[in-house]
Amino acid sequence: MKKEENEKEIKMSVKFSRIRILETWYNSGPWNMALDEVLMDSVNQCIPTLRLYGWHPSAVSIGYFQSMDEEVDVKNCKHMGIDVVRRITGGGAVLHESELTYSFITKIYPQNIIESYYWICDPVVICINKLGFDAKFVPLNDIIINNKKVSGNAQTRKKNTLLQHGTILLDVNVEKMFSVLKVPSEKVKDKMINDVKSRVMGLNKTFEQVADNLKESFSEKFSAEIIVDNLTVEEKENTKRLVTEKYVSNQWNWKR
Amino acid sequence: MVNRRVRNIHKSKKLIRVLLEYDDYTKIINSITITGDFFLHPEESLDELEANLIGTKLEKDAVKQKIEKCLNHSEAFGFDSESMTDAIIGCLCGIKLRI
Repeated sequence: MKKEENEKEIKMSVKFSRIRILETWYNSGPWNMALDEVLMDSVNQCIPTLRLYGWHPSAVSIGYFQSMDEEVDVKNCKHMGIDVVRRITGGGAVLHESELTYSFITKIYPQNIIESYYWICDPVVICINKLGFDAKFVPLNDIIINNKKVSGNAQTRKKNTLLQHGTILLDVNVEKMFSVLKVPSEKVKDKMINDVKSRVMGLNKTFEQVADNLKESFSEKFSAEIIVDNLTVEEKENTKRLVTEKYVSNQWNWKR
Repeated sequence: MVNRRVRNIHKSKKLIRVLLEYDDYTKIINSITITGDFFLHPEESLDELEANLIGTKLEKDAVKQKIEKCLNHSEAFGFDSESMTDAIIGCLCGIKLRI
């Protein structure tokens, strides 16, 4: 076996002794994004963190490179009580509502970006298939069932730490999605709604069903014991501070 | 000196939006903001690219060269130097905005 192939095999078959599980349930968009950033600082060198969460109130997150004003009908979001927040990861705008969101934070990971997406999406695919579906990973960052997207994923790397967060859709409300996301013109709106309806699907399972399977799948994939844990006082305080200083600020959310 | 403010939307594998100000006489870029649903690692490379494009002439070769130099150590998904160049140069026939 060539040296590079051998290295690839090693990277893809990484095993962890333990995975720290955080079930943080439903929180606001700014809090959710702040905690992901905090966890990148607090993650253990050898024990990755898997966080499972939802959004309350519902929120629209935009990709790091997107423009809030170009992508989101902020006025309508306010009217509907929907949070808006910029992510630290790239990709597109997402309405977070009926979904389970996960974050996986690790200091040990394949350096190749496509490989690392595959590496982390694999247990997500396993989880979905345990629920009776035939899902597969499609590079760069999607998971599909019968050509319909059921999960979108995004990652960033900072200070030798990788964060990947992703959605697993439970249900899809395309009309609501297009009432908060801007479309190029009203003329094409109906066509876009029908297009998304034919290309996106939810699992129609409960948050708990997906969460239980996801924990099990990550444990199997990495041969790791799962340790259900709570946030430390320091993590909670740092999250609170980061919400105020960054994730509710116009300076961050309207950065572009 | 006539400062023109224009924007362009370019569909590559992902969508690239460019908001640009340039001198209509010299065709030199005075400011530029690039947004879109693409991925770029490290993310800060885009700030660096925007800063480096200021002062560049709006000509295909000059812009492409700058992009390739700035993103030499970065990994982009959803666009390449060719499509980013097209997105920027496309501003010349993009929507003119009132300053």
